[in-house]
Order: sequence, then C-alpha cells, then structure tokens
Amino acid sequence: MKIAVCIKQVPTREWQPRLNDTKTWIRDQDASYEMNEPDAYALEEGLRLKEKHGGEVVVCSAGPARAAQVLREALARGADRAIHVEDEQIGAADAFVVTEALAAAMREEQFDLVLTGLQSDDQGFAQTGVILAERLGMPHATIIMEVQAADGRLRVKRELEGGWFQWIAMSLPAVLTIQSGINQLRYATLKGIMAAKKKEIRKVAAPAGLSARQRILKLDFPEKGKKTQMIAGGPEEAARELVRRLREEARAL
Amino acid sequence: MTSTVERETLDVDVLIVGGGPAGLSAALKLSQLQKRTGGEPLSIAVLEKARETGAHMMSGAVLDVSALKELVPDFLDRQAPLASEVHEDHIYFLTPGGKLRFPITPAPFRNHGNYIISLNRFVKWLSEQVEAEGIDIFSGFAGREVLYDGDRVIGVRTGDRGIDKHGQPRDNFEPGVDIHAKVTIFADGVRGNLTKELQRRFQLGAGREPQSFAIGIKELWEVPAGRIRPGTVIHTMGYPLNTEEFGGGFVYAMPDNRVFVGFVSGLDYVDPMFDPHVAFQRFKLHPLVRGIIEGGQMIRYGAKALPEGGWNTIPRPYLDGALIVGDAAGFMNSMRLKGIHLAMRSGMLAADAAFEAVNAGDASAARLKRYETLINASPIRKELYPVRNVHQAFGHGFVAGFLYAGIAMVTNGWWFDRMTGHAGQDRIQTIARYYTRRGRQVPEGATQAVKPDRQVTFDKLTNVHYSGTRHDEDQPVHLLVHTEVCESICGPEYNYPCQRFCPANVYEIVTEAVGNRLQINASNCVHCKTCDIMDPYQVITWVPPEGGGGPQYDGM
Repeated sequence: MKIAVCIKQVPTREWQPRLNDTKTWIRDQDASYEMNEPDAYALEEGLRLKEKHGGEVVVCSAGPARAAQVLREALARGADRAIHVEDEQIGAADAFVVTEALAAAMREEQFDLVLTGLQSDDQGFAQTGVILAERLGMPHATIIMEVQAADGRLRVKRELEGGWFQWIAMSLPAVLTIQSGINQLRYATLKGIMAAKKKEIRKVAAPAGLSARQRILKLDFPEKGKKTQMIAGGPEEAARELVRRLREEARAL
Repeated sequence: MTSTVERETLDVDVLIVGGGPAGLSAALKLSQLQKRTGGEPLSIAVLEKARETGAHMMSGAVLDVSALKELVPDFLDRQAPLASEVHEDHIYFLTPGGKLRFPITPAPFRNHGNYIISLNRFVKWLSEQVEAEGIDIFSGFAGREVLYDGDRVIGVRTGDRGIDKHGQPRDNFEPGVDIHAKVTIFADGVRGNLTKELQRRFQLGAGREPQSFAIGIKELWEVPAGRIRPGTVIHTMGYPLNTEEFGGGFVYAMPDNRVFVGFVSGLDYVDPMFDPHVAFQRFKLHPLVRGIIEGGQMIRYGAKALPEGGWNTIPRPYLDGALIVGDAAGFMNSMRLKGIHLAMRSGMLAADAAFEAVNAGDASAARLKRYETLINASPIRKELYPVRNVHQAFGHGFVAGFLYAGIAMVTNGWWFDRMTGHAGQDRIQTIARYYTRRGRQVPEGATQAVKPDRQVTFDKLTNVHYSGTRHDEDQPVHLLVHTEVCESICGPEYNYPCQRFCPANVYEIVTEAVGNRLQINASNCVHCKTCDIMDPYQVITWVPPEGGGGPQYDGM
C-alpha cells in the first residue's frame, strides 16, 4: 500500500504565545515548533499499516523551510521519504491554500491511502484532510479510531458523540483523518535517526497564484474575569445565601 | 527487567555526552583535526537529552569570542547569532533604594569586544556547524549510566524510554542503547549526572577543593522602546543580598527592546529560609531594574546552576577511556562571570587529546593525561589561575571577598597558593542556629518574600509555564529522594528548604492529617540541578528523565 501522511509543523503548546503587531497571528520569532500531535498519530497509524501490508510511507508537509524539522523527525521514526512543499508564507495559511499546495505535489504520486491528523494544534479547523480529499478526488472519513485494510477495501471506525462509534466500509484510494490516541507513538531510534539522513526529502515549490479564502481579522486572548463574590454573615446564613445564588443566579443547582 | 532486554548497540570512535558549547566544540574540532590529517574518517556521536539541541541551554550571556575565533574563524560570515556587541559596561553596588556606580570598570568586568548572545540560539547554530560535518547528533537521548570494562570507561547507556510511572514498560517501550566508544567525552554540564558518578567512583576530586555552585535565574523581556541602549551590560552587587551571601544581578540589552534580566545567588548561603527566586524578584523591584522592565513583557524564564569554585576545584579531568569538559568539570570564571569560552576551549583541547589517543590506539589515562597538560599550557589556566581563590575568599563574607578579588586582580594572583573553601551546601544553618538561638523571628514564608504582582514579579509556577517545560507525565519520577529524611530530620531542622531552593516548584510540602508529605512535581523540573547540589542531607539525586523532556529555552 502506498501511504501518504500529511504533517504540519505547529508552535509548541508549552509556551505563552504573544500576538503580532496587527493582532492577526502569534509572533513567530518567539515560538518554538514541533510536529502537530494529531499528525504524529496519523504517522504512527501509517507506519503500522505499512508493517502489516507492505508498501511505503511518504510524509508530506507544506510550510516554510523550518518545517523540514518535522519531516526529518518522521523519517527517523520510519517513514520512507518526504515531500516538502516549501513556501515561507504557508506557515499560517488557511486549509484551502495548504491543501492546494499539498495536492499539487501529491497528485502524481497516486497514493492508495492518505492520512492526516484530525486537526492542527494551532488553527484547529479540521479541514485539511476533508478539502484535500476533494482536491485529490478521493472519498474520505473523519475522526478515525481504528483502521482495517483488506483486499483493496477499508473498514474504519469513526468516533461519534456521546460514546457512540460508527463503522464505515469504503474503497481505496481514500483519505482518513485520524483521531489522537488511536495508537501509542513509537520513539525514534538511533539507527532510525542515522538512516533518516540518507532518506530523500523532495522539495517542491508551491504552485503559483495561491490565494487565501479566509482572513483572520483579529485574535484575542480570553479575558480573565475575576468575579469573586464574598458572602457575609454567619455560617448558616451564608450557606443559605450561597445556595440561593447558586440556584437563582448561577443556575448551577 | 532491564538486564535481560535486548539492546541496540552502536560502536563509535568518540562519543560526546552532552550537546552544549563544550561538547559541540569538541565534535567540531575532531572533524577539523580529521580533515587536516586525512585518513579513515572518525565516527563521532553526540548525545543530547533535549528534544532539540539548544533547548536546555541557558546562560547570561556575554560571550568572549576568543575560543570561537579559533574554532570557527569565519563565524561572522557564517552568521553566528550574536545579538549585540557590547558597547557599555556599568557596575553598581545596590542599596535597597539606590545605587552606587563604580567610577571605573574593573578589568574582569570590561566587555569590550565581547557579544551579548542567547546561548540557546548560539548552540543551535553551533550544532548546525557540527551536523554540516556529517557528525550524528542524537537529541532526545540522555546518558543514563556509564559503561565500564573493569575501571576503563567504554561508553554510555542511554535511558530507557516508554516506562510508565510505576516503572513498568509500556507498549512502545524502547530500551536504552549501549554506545561503545574508544574515548568518551563527558560534557554533561554543571553537576552532570554521569560526571558525578565518575567523580565518586574514581575520587577525581581528591586533593582538590570541593566544588561550589551558584544558581542563576533569568528572564527574557521585551521592554518599552528607549529604556536601554542595545549593547549595554549592567552588573550589580549588594542588594538584595546581605554581606554573608554571594551573588549579583545582571541586565543585558539586545536590539529590538529585548533584555535579559537575571540574578545569580551563591549556593553557599547560610539562612535556611533564603530563596534565590525571591532574591531575583527583589532585584527586579529595585528602581534600577524596575525602571527598565516595568510596562514590558516577560517572554521566557529559566534557571540553571553554575560551577563557581574555579581553578582549584576542577577535578582530574581524564581517566581510562574518558575526558571531562566544560561545566561538568567546572571550567568557569566566576570573577568574569563567563564560562562559555572556557567550555568551548576545554572541548577543543579534549578533542585534541582524544584524536591523538584514537589514532595511537591507546586511550589509557596515561595518554589522555595530555588533555591536562594542554589545559595547563592554554589560556584556560592563564585566565583561571590568578583568580583561583576569589570564590573561596567570598566565603569569608562580601568585604573579605571583594578585597581579595581586588588584590588578586592587581597582583595577578600571587597571594595564597590555595585558599580552602567548603562545599557550598555545607554552610546552610539550621533554623535553630540561624534564628531561634539568636532570638530572630523565623519568617512565615521565605526570607523577604514578595507577593507577586504579575507585572514585574511572578510566582514560581507562572514562571515555570514561561520556561516551556514539558515531560511525559507517565514516567517514573526522575528525582530520587530519600523521603524518610524529609519529615523526620530535614523538616524540623531546616524547614523543608527544597521548597525554596528549587526555582520551579518541584518540591511541595503537603500537609495531611497524618503529617507533612513531600510531593514531587517532577514534570515542572527545569533541569537546573540545584536540588542535587543544595539539599543539606544530600538525599536528592537528579537522574535524567525520559529523553526529550525538559525546558524549551528558545531565545534564552
């Protein structure tokens, strides 16, 4: 099976981001970056499918030069080769632009299966996999918790609300967006890191004329409202008043 | 369990444990020596516990470029990230509300020709130079134990990965790798866990003075425009420390209104209620510093111990099959507040000795002793020997230390061949001795504690958030503590000093019905090593957590 896994490089979560001067994105000079965590699960799932069914895993990323770091990491974990659609503007682009850049580089590869993480840790639109499927002309399924492949067909388990799951049978080729926690991530080994150096990262220019479909008008930090109310009086009286406020004002009871 | 698992092994000529300035300089120098002499290329591997090189790097820092000039002569063309050349030096003696400016800048504090750098950025750049030479840097791998053949060091075993918090292997368990090397260079930093083991096993400190340490706490700020000229270096003495405490503050100004603000406290303080993080907050509240940072924004936080003892405390840095470089050995000049250039040079000299040993097929201590000979003939000794007693003199109080430093400077260090010092943590006094018996009131919290205003001052937990620290939560605690000592002895005697000397809120005393219990918040740990050094009963051992964990000191 020829498997593609799409990976995004995102700012790390253990960090206090600051906004840029126009308040439309974070100040990226302060940020450190890492592999988008849901994509790491997609990669692991791809590697497991390859180990079971044979074939190859190709990791694909659209992003600035620094995104090569997550591709190298994926190669060290066991991916066979990488495609990097390199463009300095694409780091914070919308899913429409990102998928156009990815699809242009991926189309000719004729992948059997394309995996993405469910969503990105930075923008969280959960759209890249879906729009990419449309562009590649493949069916897709989202929020995947389990993947079974046999005889050129897939059975996949989707996570629904309220503890419900749904099994879907679909044909290949297909695009799946993988839910985090579907598997346990492997570590890169020393041999893997050494082998990664010899693996190919094919750099591709982004197609000309990419134009964003959406524009971020303004980013805000959630306001921290400290609304402590002090209740005076003796314990009994105060408790009664607390219950009243919880019931009538907060409607928590 | 771990003795029966099958381990990956790797054989190299030279293994370097630690990807800081010392280790990376050793790697780069080795490849340069190789190129010069030709022949079979050496296989070299560098281990680094951080997720990526530079992530655990934190220093002031003002860089003396003397070693860099030799190692990478075209460092400017190669765009070494030097934030700003130093244009101005100021030294102040602080009083609680005021400052006295030193009329002249003493030579050790003169920084003409030096650069303000982010050590994180600098080391990242250095690692790119090393990787460009085809050398493998394995980041995310911590050296967990030294491998021996008899008494000869033959390499290092990396830490197991994928062990859960109960010590059981998870599905993705990946046993540590045995890396065998002809020569192993230990560059595991201040109070390195492996160097510590070597020092104990081989008595490398015999005949030397005990090492003394300090802790540096630093923040990166962006301040309102026009507050301070880029390239300005400020050092302070005095407030908020008293005369029995060693240390001082610094402010280094970079372009784009970015400023490093930091405070170094000697880990040889006497007051058991002293808290280095509080001293740092007090420093920031002093009008001199507050006037620079107020209204700005804190961007990152970090803390790291530093070896302050100087020349006479450096252990024997060579043994069968191994060399020790950089902060791990204590190559730091506490008088100039600089060690990066010494770390780099020690790495370069170790490379020289290791290269010769590998080519001769003899990595015995007798041959590797050449490293020590090279150090003695190098600018390292020239710089460190004259000021060898300064830190020990400060052990006799600020006035004695200051006078001695002045005399050492003027006379180039003729006075006293060797002044004895104490291991820093030995000076801390019990609550009874420091407070009760002198009729002093024991403070409720730490001495001079500050209520954080979250503008200029912060609590430790907020600060840790800004250090970018992350560890996989499902792993064994990497701070091995004999907790039975806590409540029975250390608590009553010292009032749980770990709560105060840790700058990251790792140690927390939880009061329960049955008594006090030590809770270890290991995932807060910023790998500064202060607890391993400072705890009065020496019952805390810092071991590396799963590789890749720790702070993320971007821009620090």
